[in-house]
Amino acid sequence: MKLYVKATSSYRSDLEEISIKESLKKQYKVDVRRKDDFIHAGLLGALRLRDKCEIQRDDALYLTSGFGNINILAKMNEYILEQGEYIKLFDFINMLGNTTSFYVASELGIKAKSIFQISDNFTYFHTLITIYASLQREKKEVVLGSLDIASLDNEIIKRVAGIEENQEVLSSVNYQKLSLDAENALASIEFDTNFYTLEQVEEVLLENRKRVYCSVRCEAFGCEKESFYFETEASYIINRAIERGESLLYIDFYDNRYKILRVESM
Amino acid sequence: MKAFINEYASLSCAGDTEALMEAIYSKKSAISIDTSFMSDTPVGLGKMEYEDFFESLKSVVKRVLENSNLENFHKTLLIVGSSVGGMAESETHYFKDKNYKSIDPSRHAISVISDTLQDAFNFYDTRAISTACTSSANAFLLAKRLIAVGAYENVLVVGADALCYTTVCGFYALSVLSSKACTPFQEGREGMNVAEAIAAVLVQNEQQSDSIELCGVGASSDAYHMTNPDPEAGGAMSSMQNALDDAGLSAKEIDYVNAHGTGTQANDKVEGFGVETLFDNVYVSSTKAITGHTLGAAGALEAIISCEVIKQGLIPPQTNCKDLENSAINIPFESVKKDVNYVLSNSFAFGGNNTSVIFGGLK
Repeated sequence: MKLYVKATSSYRSDLEEISIKESLKKQYKVDVRRKDDFIHAGLLGALRLRDKCEIQRDDALYLTSGFGNINILAKMNEYILEQGEYIKLFDFINMLGNTTSFYVASELGIKAKSIFQISDNFTYFHTLITIYASLQREKKEVVLGSLDIASLDNEIIKRVAGIEENQEVLSSVNYQKLSLDAENALASIEFDTNFYTLEQVEEVLLENRKRVYCSVRCEAFGCEKESFYFETEASYIINRAIERGESLLYIDFYDNRYKILRVESM
Repeated sequence: MKAFINEYASLSCAGDTEALMEAIYSKKSAISIDTSFMSDTPVGLGKMEYEDFFESLKSVVKRVLENSNLENFHKTLLIVGSSVGGMAESETHYFKDKNYKSIDPSRHAISVISDTLQDAFNFYDTRAISTACTSSANAFLLAKRLIAVGAYENVLVVGADALCYTTVCGFYALSVLSSKACTPFQEGREGMNVAEAIAAVLVQNEQQSDSIELCGVGASSDAYHMTNPDPEAGGAMSSMQNALDDAGLSAKEIDYVNAHGTGTQANDKVEGFGVETLFDNVYVSSTKAITGHTLGAAGALEAIISCEVIKQGLIPPQTNCKDLENSAINIPFESVKKDVNYVLSNSFAFGGNNTSVIFGGLK
């Protein structure tokens, strides 16, 4: 399975000392009221992507996240428990998975389908497979946003994701415009539905001539990896490789299974 | 490659699939009036009977496995559609301990339903989709596309949502709850009933003797308003038309539309207008008068209802409706016996997230 990347945008919280909310207001003239940090981050990434490419109304929108908007859940339960109040209207709305995709679709003028997909790890890989299958039928292009924000409950995130307690958790938003068409593409991403064993990955590595990156969960192979964690890290690594004109092989690991994807910059 | 629905099972406030269809055809709503979530505000809710939601979930999925041609789910993709996942359990812990420390992280996330089923059945792979009330309808979209490209041979679509404070109080905050059983398409209707359900549907690339074909799926975004649909029904019609195009059918070939029909003012008005515009006198009714709105589970539960309508050749009557708001749509007040070849089922969600699924009988 192969998808072509037509444009990218990235935000990583430790690399940019900006207020996302202020950027949305000043740079993009977005009404930031009634939206929370998760939605603001999703909008920033989307609008940065729009700066780099044309987005059509019949492009589909996919958003994916490791854990979704956890902060809003904590906030809502506090209302009920500590303040004895019913849930506030916009907190309830902002909690729903497709609220972020609604605001993003509205800003980008997208009228085709929008999907918010969360997987049990490998969420970015799984969304690529879904997009590939959908594009085979629909022949349009897709905007994919991968969205994770550091949360009040990072300790829960670490336990769920199998991450060391001292691991730094970052916020990051990475968008890609994806297509089946190679024309004017910046890079290709190749992937499959297989899960790999340790031995199978070792075989792949023997034949590989590309730079290799691993996710922070991946202990084997002694490959390059980042010091930070967010569940959709693969999307950031890909965007950075494309920006640098690099090709690479990326390995993720969870629950004794590996996933592999290959990026070829053009 | 075509996709076929070969097995299914469900549990809702109306009971299992057999009891549910009996309730639909005999127009017996399973909605109860409840004050356990908001003591001073009685609301109609669709409450299931269970000791542990997750045990019921496993039991429904086990039933599908036992009745299927599979020995296990080890080569099956699981796609779960849920709007709130493990919220009910997280709420219980939080209310008891006043903090999150005792929450089992594996039962906290939105993907808790797929986690639970993965632990119990060891699926090849899992996905969780959360697009509110279109969640499990969108799971069919993914299932059909993934089977079409040969990525998977077997996909189990599960729609599941349990009642919790977040959804009951959240919809109350939106002022769309009904204090009685909902009355879809009725003039002067009061609102919707939040409900819970579990529905599991096995979609495969192989046809069996009693298969129902998953003929087409269409989706669209209104991108109009966060909670209100596009009043011109642009998104709703686009979703239905996309499903027809995907199935290679014309509107006149559809025998029955299982409406989203929540009983809210905005939804039923717009959906009725969309059906009126796109179809020529097709039968349409909402089974949410029986089950309530099962949120993320609705797409899968109503897929099962659609399959049963085709198998039984009996169009469901509209329960709890005496005076139609829109007399231009063909709502049957009693069951209609007829050959049913194709059923279109609508699921519409907040943010104008629309999905329509078409099911077909095999001759």
